[in-house]
Amino acid sequence: MVQILVKLPGDETECKEWAIVELQGDLETRHPVPLSGKFIGDLHFAHKDAPVLIIGHHILHGKVMSLEKPFAVITKASNSETADGSEVTPMEADHADQALAPTSGSEDNPSQPSYHVKAIIRKKVLFKTRPKPIIAHVPKKL
Amino acid sequence: MKLTDNMDVSENPAVPNTAMEVTPDADDQSQETESEGRQRSLSDINSILEFAKLERSDFKPQVQCLYFSEHLENDSIKLLELDQPVLDSILSGKSVTIRGDKNDGAVLVTDDKTYDFKEAETSNSMLLLPQLSFSSDLPSEGDQEIVQKKVGSVIYNYYELRPIKPRLKKLRKLLEENPYRGKECEGDELDTGKKYTLPELQDRVQASNKEIVEGLRKLNACELSGYWRVLDFEFLSTVVYHVLQLCDENDWLTTGVDLAQCCDVLQELFPIELVQHVVRCFARDGDGEEKSTATAVPLCEDKVCKHFAELCLRNSGKFNLSDFSQAWQQSVPEGMTTSLSQIQGMALIDRSSQPEVIWYYCVDDLPDDVAERFEVLFEERKKWSLEEITPYVIDLTSEKTDVGALLTKFARASMLNGIKVFSSRKTL
Repeated sequence: MVQILVKLPGDETECKEWAIVELQGDLETRHPVPLSGKFIGDLHFAHKDAPVLIIGHHILHGKVMSLEKPFAVITKASNSETADGSEVTPMEADHADQALAPTSGSEDNPSQPSYHVKAIIRKKVLFKTRPKPIIAHVPKKL
Repeated sequence: MKLTDNMDVSENPAVPNTAMEVTPDADDQSQETESEGRQRSLSDINSILEFAKLERSDFKPQVQCLYFSEHLENDSIKLLELDQPVLDSILSGKSVTIRGDKNDGAVLVTDDKTYDFKEAETSNSMLLLPQLSFSSDLPSEGDQEIVQKKVGSVIYNYYELRPIKPRLKKLRKLLEENPYRGKECEGDELDTGKKYTLPELQDRVQASNKEIVEGLRKLNACELSGYWRVLDFEFLSTVVYHVLQLCDENDWLTTGVDLAQCCDVLQELFPIELVQHVVRCFARDGDGEEKSTATAVPLCEDKVCKHFAELCLRNSGKFNLSDFSQAWQQSVPEGMTTSLSQIQGMALIDRSSQPEVIWYYCVDDLPDDVAERFEVLFEERKKWSLEEITPYVIDLTSEKTDVGALLTKFARASMLNGIKVFSSRKTL
């Protein structure tokens, strides 16, 4: 039916390395506003490697983990890279392949839809415990 | 979302919080956090550290302030969990492809392996950061400094890969849409099925290129005029008949087939590549491979005998075993000896009936799915000995799972007249 190539963009042979900060739960704003551009928190690394993340008045202790199986960050290749710049749907790609001469490989077909590997992720900072609140003033006992 | 002043913290010593949620303060000044808004300062950072009762000196001087990017890409980005061979293939620029037909699930294939796709969800949120320094990247001393880091996407799911056996049944199904019946039949009233080129097969079959090529070899498919074709059995028998006749005339069964001469004589009847293909199909393993430069190709006794057994059994229902054995031995070229071991996985024998009978029952016609395979096998016969069932499941084994392991999982063992037999686990 259709083949989608997964590859590094262009002729690159090196791949960027990204990282993941993984939080238990979800990040929300108090008011329903888009998250874009918003400040999240301060990430500190202790001298003993342990990461600490402070979000609002919550403190999270985490650890750095190497992923046993790395992640590839993939994204659909933009259509401008196709031969004629037109949108390629799986159906069209199918017809394009049918039209190929019997001996030519479909691997190099420029109009083939593809996913680009934007980056590889090998490490993450995992905060898996519940955040602790920061209490500024402990009420004095009477 | 900005922590504006210390009062906010002190006035809300413990803001109620749902169990699993980190709820950062979104406060009324959030609009000022836009690009030109107030940047987070060292004093912001240090005062909150103080409130948290953390010592600044315990930490590396560089603080990474995390921000959501102005342009979050949450939907256009997918995470694909890779194992080392797939990663290596991608990084070395080898082909890694997602392929599948309309009605089949998608698979990911490298040059030589097939992987199943599975979507996995997580209740954690994964913030993707194109740039992030880990502890080892940071200096241990120096002045405190702030570095902004952007979160490009927030992701809650990813795709897992699981290596699977290639799904090659489809290859056979596609090729059998139009078997090759000889050059004079091309374009006749029966030549209506679709013919497939290798790239077309790669588009349709959920297996890696190497596995497809291997599958084509197992099907004894032949590339003719750019299309991969399986040979119609009767047509194949005709070609074999002609080849063996030449063998008889030239004593090639002892010396090996002179491929050039064989093709030369038969080229009026059949395309040269077809004659070469058929001779190679019956060549001894390792001989007659395309790379082989040897001029004489020795034929494999077992393969030739198996062909004649199929010719006898294919359309004849149940056959008296001793009659069959006799007819079979007479049908093979002189000097070749038939043996029932040659047709394991192709024919079943019932030794309990009077007289003993044999019939065509080929493993290639059975389902690829392990559970389905056992179901079909136990429908055909309730109890199998280990020796009987092995040829019908051996193709399902892998490095980790041998025949014994398959039987343990999918069959029930019992003793019958002192012989261990296997039956269905399903209670009737």
